[in-house]
Amino acid sequence: MPEITIMPEEIKIPYEPGENLLEILLRAGAFVENPCNGRGVCGKCKIKHQKGLLPPFSEEEQSFLNAGEEDIGVRLSCMVEPREDITIELMQKEKEHDVLTTGFIPKFKKRPAIKKETFFLSPPTLENQIAYEDIMAFASEGGPADWRFLQHLPQNPGTCTAVYSGEKLIAVESGDTTGQMYGFAIDIGTTTVVVALIDLVTGEELGAEAAINAQKNYGLDVLTRIAYILEHPVFGRKQLQAAIVDSLNDMMRVLCESVGVDPGRIYEITVAANCTMLHLLLGVDAVGLGKAPYAPVFTRSKNIPAADLGLIASPGARVYCLPSVSAYIGADIVAGAYVAELDKQKDNVLFIDIGTNGEIVLSHQGRLLSCSCAAGPALEGMNISAGMRAAAGAIEDVKISPSGVELKVIGGKKPIGLCGSGILAAVRELLLHGLVRKNGAFVKKIILPGDDYRNNIMVEEGNKRSVRFAEQPEISITQGDVRQVQLAKGAILSGFHALLAKAGIPMDELDKVMIAGQFGAHLPEESLVGTGILPQGLEGKIVYIGNSSKTGAYIALMSVEARKEMEKLAKEMDYMELSASEGYQKLFVECLQFPYSRVRHQKSQAVGR
Amino acid sequence: MKSQQDLLMVLSDCVVDMEDDSVSEVAEEYIAAGYPALDGILKGLVDGMQKAADLYEQQEYFIPELLVCADAMYNGLDVLRPHLEQADSSKKHKVVIGVVEGDTHDIGKNLVKIMLEAAGYETYDLGRDVALHRFIDKAKEVDADVVAMSTLMSTTMPGMGEVIELLKAAGIRNRVKVIIGGAPISLAFAQKIGADGYSANAVDAVKLVDRLIGDEAVVLGA
Repeated sequence: MPEITIMPEEIKIPYEPGENLLEILLRAGAFVENPCNGRGVCGKCKIKHQKGLLPPFSEEEQSFLNAGEEDIGVRLSCMVEPREDITIELMQKEKEHDVLTTGFIPKFKKRPAIKKETFFLSPPTLENQIAYEDIMAFASEGGPADWRFLQHLPQNPGTCTAVYSGEKLIAVESGDTTGQMYGFAIDIGTTTVVVALIDLVTGEELGAEAAINAQKNYGLDVLTRIAYILEHPVFGRKQLQAAIVDSLNDMMRVLCESVGVDPGRIYEITVAANCTMLHLLLGVDAVGLGKAPYAPVFTRSKNIPAADLGLIASPGARVYCLPSVSAYIGADIVAGAYVAELDKQKDNVLFIDIGTNGEIVLSHQGRLLSCSCAAGPALEGMNISAGMRAAAGAIEDVKISPSGVELKVIGGKKPIGLCGSGILAAVRELLLHGLVRKNGAFVKKIILPGDDYRNNIMVEEGNKRSVRFAEQPEISITQGDVRQVQLAKGAILSGFHALLAKAGIPMDELDKVMIAGQFGAHLPEESLVGTGILPQGLEGKIVYIGNSSKTGAYIALMSVEARKEMEKLAKEMDYMELSASEGYQKLFVECLQFPYSRVRHQKSQAVGR
Repeated sequence: MKSQQDLLMVLSDCVVDMEDDSVSEVAEEYIAAGYPALDGILKGLVDGMQKAADLYEQQEYFIPELLVCADAMYNGLDVLRPHLEQADSSKKHKVVIGVVEGDTHDIGKNLVKIMLEAAGYETYDLGRDVALHRFIDKAKEVDADVVAMSTLMSTTMPGMGEVIELLKAAGIRNRVKVIIGGAPISLAFAQKIGADGYSANAVDAVKLVDRLIGDEAVVLGA
């Protein structure tokens, strides 16, 4: 039996002739990209041939190779059938996929809105001086609606490719370009923007970029940005729109360049974002969102020309914005609810996206009820004495024990502050070790035994108490910090209880809690339950679904059916305005209580004596 | 029978220790013993609330404690008030308070109102999402000494400045002190819109009003 040897590892794969090289390699578990599944259309399954005899290049195979590749032995593995001993080298490494592929993706029917068809264009002749737009008429009933299409019409006769968005003709390209069809799935968060380049043919994510939302210069949170527009009625709206469009274009350009995709082959961009971010992206007045009665200008999905927003893409490309429910339950949450399949749940499931605003959706056997709570920025490290964003030097986890304090620092560096997950972990530990009482107040040092390990970290200056985790720079949690966390926790937990009460579901009938969002993904169960953001008794029922907003945008890009379902889901989701609900103050105040501290009364050194 | 001093101390303790259930009984006992209601309120209940405010300042108490203490105080007041002699003629200063138009978050405003009442101010609570002109209308109607406004949302802050303009237009700006508060509010903003004061929390708000009204008294007396 002949053998294939993979270099430099010298892995030997014996094989029966009769199959192509790709099939043999895949079966043996070697990594070769093959988005088109060996159908010979994507040109991705390249390997480097070193020794041994392979059949000669076919014209088809050559058409997929770049200049010079043929000379160094690059072959398309799906197009060659080896018969003898050969030695090859793999050309790709398995990449670490981003959140999108590691996060939860439900099953959906793959059918992008964008499709391509080839046709043969007969040239006009002297006898028949027909205009190109008329030749093209057959490709689209009545021709394309947008005259700008003519600016990009190729005049090369022969094989052409028509690009459609639904039934609408959006572009015509020379040659057969059916294998090149790309789109972007975008999640615009108030803080972070994520853009993923997607191959519409295969559904593969080719790359992703994340960046801080450039609108941060106009305010860190949604309300401040709206206030900016109020204060700058002439230019404010345009400035905010330009900020996000420019940063999206930058990210898309970088992605296209790094992956090697022509921006002209981008035909659709799907966007999931909160309601305010969508208003700002489309240059629509967002002022109504920032004031009671919190009325948005639009909540329905939008399908508009990308050129209208100035986004780089094929001239006919479309932008699809997912639908929202209300001012504070945006398309990001609709996307998340769809990804979590909340409308299909038979159980009682709670979905939470934790951020400056915590959005919560309760699925009561498929019926959806949502609310939004003003958690404030404490959980993102703001308004906290030693708070910072999650970046190198941020403490992301803390453990207190009789032998001292153990810190986990992002980037393994010297700690310079606490990020959101670190703050929560710190408060969790303070509660766990009885340094903070149920009502959120620090214990007085006087109640601690003289030789207690907690004396080492607790600092008391008059009535001011704090717990110190690091020195130079000093990083402490103060009483004020605990109060900030308490307010955030109270806001989220009260939303949680309000929804359950409204649906008439007792806590023990809750089957699952799904945590969405990049931030939530960094909050372990023990912190969420340990600080009482989520009630006790939910341990083991918590699952993390990653950036479900981006996943939702991705699915909308890949499936028109999913879009319909998202639109239906948005329409059917009910919303309750917490601040206006009966008895909310009482509930909020109850929810400010921390869980009973489960103090492990370690007697520290006293035990051994 | 317990002395008045003892019962006043128990009333005070009931409030500061959040005994919102037992406070009523103590108040009944106090009245049954024939002691004056006004003392019970000022030296008992209000004294307790003042202690609660002190604990809040020391960061020992937080919003929930203040609210439960207030519940206890109000329960006690319900018992004592009917027994007040008409002699409670000491003119109370009047505060018109509300959350400005466009905002529905009112927990902070409620706390300020409670603390002002405990400190002896008469409050007129307009609620939340209050149309701006209503601050002026009410201030005129009750001849208010103070207009207090709050908001949690930066988008509705400009409304506070408009209220001040409306007070000027109505010709009563010099008759009222305007104080503002809420998460996005700062001293700088208060100065910018020409408010008389800003406070970061409910306990400070009382001190602020005391000071502003005190200033006025000095001016008037001069």
